[in-house]
Amino acid sequence: MRFPDIRRILEGVEHHRGSGFDTTVIRHVTAGDLMSEVLVFDLEDLLLVTSLNSEQVLRTAHMIDAAGVVLVNDKVPNESMIALARSLDTTLLSSPRSMFEACVALNELLSEDASGE
Amino acid sequence: MSEEARPPVSLDSQNIPSALTDLIFNLKIKDVMTRSVVTANKSEALRTIQRRMKEANITGVPVVENTRILGVVSMHDILTAFDEGTIDEPAETHMTRSLKVLEDDMPLSFAINYFNKFRYGRFPVLNKERELCGIITIRDINTTLLREVNRIVENLEEELNRTVQDDRDADSLQFYVVAHDFENAGRASSEIKKLLRQHGLDPKIIRRTAVASYELEMNLVVHSTGGRMDFRMDREQISIRTRDDGPGIPDVEQALEEGFTTANDWIRSLGFGAGMGLPNVRRVCDDFRITSEMGRGTETSAMIRRTPAEEAPAAAEPNDAAQGG
Repeated sequence: MRFPDIRRILEGVEHHRGSGFDTTVIRHVTAGDLMSEVLVFDLEDLLLVTSLNSEQVLRTAHMIDAAGVVLVNDKVPNESMIALARSLDTTLLSSPRSMFEACVALNELLSEDASGE
Repeated sequence: MSEEARPPVSLDSQNIPSALTDLIFNLKIKDVMTRSVVTANKSEALRTIQRRMKEANITGVPVVENTRILGVVSMHDILTAFDEGTIDEPAETHMTRSLKVLEDDMPLSFAINYFNKFRYGRFPVLNKERELCGIITIRDINTTLLREVNRIVENLEEELNRTVQDDRDADSLQFYVVAHDFENAGRASSEIKKLLRQHGLDPKIIRRTAVASYELEMNLVVHSTGGRMDFRMDREQISIRTRDDGPGIPDVEQALEEGFTTANDWIRSLGFGAGMGLPNVRRVCDDFRITSEMGRGTETSAMIRRTPAEEAPAAAEPNDAAQGG
């Protein structure tokens, strides 16, 4: 799945569009609000789903080379968070969906990808 | 010597930054005092002494006989003499006789305490033989401290330059991490990651290093009272060291267990305190050491080899099997 699909299915709002927005294929998703649990992942083409509205989310995503971050539960990033997304070139979306709903929807997208391949 | 106005800024040795405390205890009064003392003898008229004070631009003159100090004529004594019409009388009849003196071998801290306690503008300084050998004022102290602080800063700068020179063959970065500064938390690790990317290292190695440095950096922010992080990379390996000043970890073995945390709700609300920090660091590193002492602080040392373990030919690296765990 790619970011345009993710934005559509999550009714997402785009706060920063990273350079790989249209081209990067997301193959893995990790969801959580504790950043140390996120830092365990060593995967390429990863999307981070969280309801934690803080700059540390973007720093964490940057550390593990995640392609983007989706803020769920209707959380809206503040200006400094958007600025950091810009400077780290990390795609940042927000969604009104709950963490669970978002994960279910993303899983459907990933399953479609798997069956399509 | 009469009482004069207290200096507007109190030199209180208890309130002086610790960097200066050493100075104040190591410097002796003889290193600070003025040695060429303008003096008077007891039979000289106060008016003569007043002119001498004006010429030398000073506010107090010790009255001496041979090398012994008898008293001090201060500006206050002169003003009183003008007021009472005794300005042409000899010094010995109007000088201040109740003297507070210092000794040349005392630490500078004694002088600072005297200035606070007795509120005089100057103190005569005597040597072991009780002879007048100098005089000390607040100005002497200020000038000396400024000069010494300058010298210390220059030495530090020199040392810093030397460190930079030593590391020319390797890449190194130093960071100071401030406790609870969540706004800047992670910046050091971002810098490190940037440098590794510029060197074109294997992305997996970069990620492992980034995770280790980020967790260690966040530990400094979340748990310590502030500390320092040093990054160094040579042809073989990457090393990250952290050092903080406290509070220390009561049980290091416990802190290395997954899920163990001392974080409060506030730290958790920022996304930290999952009890995964140190276990994460240990997982991504080829070697990780941590020592901690309560009340003193914690030191960590993390090492990651630049050649990925799975790509290293077994024959070429016979030690790998032993260290692989």
